[in-house]
Amino acid sequence: MGSKPELTVAREGQTWRARYQRFAREHAGFLWVAPALFTLLAVIIYPMIYGIYLSFVDMNLGQKEAPFIGLENFSFVLKDDVFLNSISKTLFYVAVSVSLTFVFGLGLALLMQKIRWGRTIFHLILIAPMAIAPPVVGLTWRWIYNPLFGLLNPFLGLFGLPQQAPLGSPDSAMEAVLVVDIWQWTSLVFLILYAGVSTLPREPYEAADLDGAGPWAMFWRITLPLLTPVILVVLVLRTVDAFRTFDLVNVMTAGGPALSTEVMSLYIYRVGFKFFQMGRGAAAGQIMLLGAGVILAVYFRFLYKELD
Amino acid sequence: MGTEVMRAQGPMRSRRTFGRLVRRHWSTAVAYLVVILVCVFVLVPILAGFVTAFKPGPIQIASPPVWLFQPTADNFERVLIAKKGLLNLRNSIIVTVLSISVSLLVGVPAAYSLARLRMKGRQQLLGWIISLRMIPPVVVALPFFVLIDRMKLYDTYVGLSLTYLSFSIPMIIWIMRGYFARTPHLEESAMVDGCSRLQAVVRVLLPVVMPGLAATALLVAMVAWNEYMLALILTGRNTATLPIGAVTYVTRVRVEWGELFAMNLIIAAPVLLLAATLHRHLVRGLTFGMVE
Repeated sequence: MGSKPELTVAREGQTWRARYQRFAREHAGFLWVAPALFTLLAVIIYPMIYGIYLSFVDMNLGQKEAPFIGLENFSFVLKDDVFLNSISKTLFYVAVSVSLTFVFGLGLALLMQKIRWGRTIFHLILIAPMAIAPPVVGLTWRWIYNPLFGLLNPFLGLFGLPQQAPLGSPDSAMEAVLVVDIWQWTSLVFLILYAGVSTLPREPYEAADLDGAGPWAMFWRITLPLLTPVILVVLVLRTVDAFRTFDLVNVMTAGGPALSTEVMSLYIYRVGFKFFQMGRGAAAGQIMLLGAGVILAVYFRFLYKELD
Repeated sequence: MGTEVMRAQGPMRSRRTFGRLVRRHWSTAVAYLVVILVCVFVLVPILAGFVTAFKPGPIQIASPPVWLFQPTADNFERVLIAKKGLLNLRNSIIVTVLSISVSLLVGVPAAYSLARLRMKGRQQLLGWIISLRMIPPVVVALPFFVLIDRMKLYDTYVGLSLTYLSFSIPMIIWIMRGYFARTPHLEESAMVDGCSRLQAVVRVLLPVVMPGLAATALLVAMVAWNEYMLALILTGRNTATLPIGAVTYVTRVRVEWGELFAMNLIIAAPVLLLAATLHRHLVRGLTFGMVE
């Protein structure tokens, strides 16, 4: 009898605890996501919104004030020949980089299927480039291209070819950078497509073999259709990465000579951190973001068509 | 016996199999040739750079390059002791560890939730997290700089690590979600025995997914270790990471090639070793779990 008050206290304590437990149970999904969600809101979404704000003000890193100037930053950037030049350089870079890394990577992934002896070691060598930091890759190739003591000219000399200084001329700098980009990122395409090809079922090939189909027909009629989802993932990743490219170009040419390699990322970086025009840089950034959105929308159209 | 009969049926059939045999071997030989040539093209720049890191001063710029020499550790000694290499190394380790531990702390529970727990808008949230991968970093780099500068976090470990969360958390969520989704619901039975979900997950589920968790953490660490653009704008003399340090050996006036390649080796060697050990997990990590 005497223990009754104690029980009430205990029961009250339980109800609070029970209430908390019920809340935690019902909203467990959200509670477990919440820390990540709020961190992401703080470290990406807030800066992105702040970037939109920046694009409407005249923010010069030297000044205290940042007056609102409407669309002036956008109109400046869109009239800037240097920015328009960077758009065309970026599109060229994306087109060449994505298509060639894709073709080479797919080719390697298919050729590797024929290889039995030394498969693992070849695989490890072929995926090595993408593990190396782009600035390291860029600096290494700057040395290779160096006309005085690089590897390229002695190599060309072996075949009696004329000596080159690929990064020194506006006519060849972009191609020289793209060679390095392809050297590095073919490995990524290869890695993913090789994984995709390795998981393809054998039955369709056996059936096609019985029907007397050649390797070419098998590639077009079986391999490509079955690989389509993986191919789309690869193309999206490569396009996004080529579109944003900065490290390699900045380290090798810093956009030069004569703006011949100045892609959009470099333009925005230069406007922001060399000319200290944060507002203009941010406006160019919004346009770049829009461009990325458009490219992705096109891909996802294909993707959905494929899934239907 | 059966094949004998088949062959005896006519010359046409046997010629076709023979032709196929030749074609198969011929194409295998071509495959080997091409793959070996590509491997040489991939290896030469990497190895040439590594070798140059061990060259003594005068022959670093010999043309054509000298390949026979007495290897020396002078370049590493100068880079690490006389110059700032050791500081760069320390900074890289601190920033990588700091950003990865925070990302794991918030990312792993989120990955668990998105794999197991019911929630409104789960698919949309997953799509949103993946779309973060598509943002060009230079677009957020400008606001990052202004905000970090305002918060007086320029050239600090916390400032740089905060911005690294923007790519490490999404990566961890996507990769770990895949590992959780593939694991049986072990924590549920522990919960029946009276554990809370947190206790059950930590004691029962985490030990099971530990290999995947370790691989994920190392993969994301590789990305942070190699990061260049954000470090370029957010670090100064105190917190410059290894890639920033490496670039300082290249100036307009002169390039210290031996020292540069010593730095390159310090940056690339651990990542290459990791990539070789983790290559089975690489695909999943790089495609955000979209390709297994």
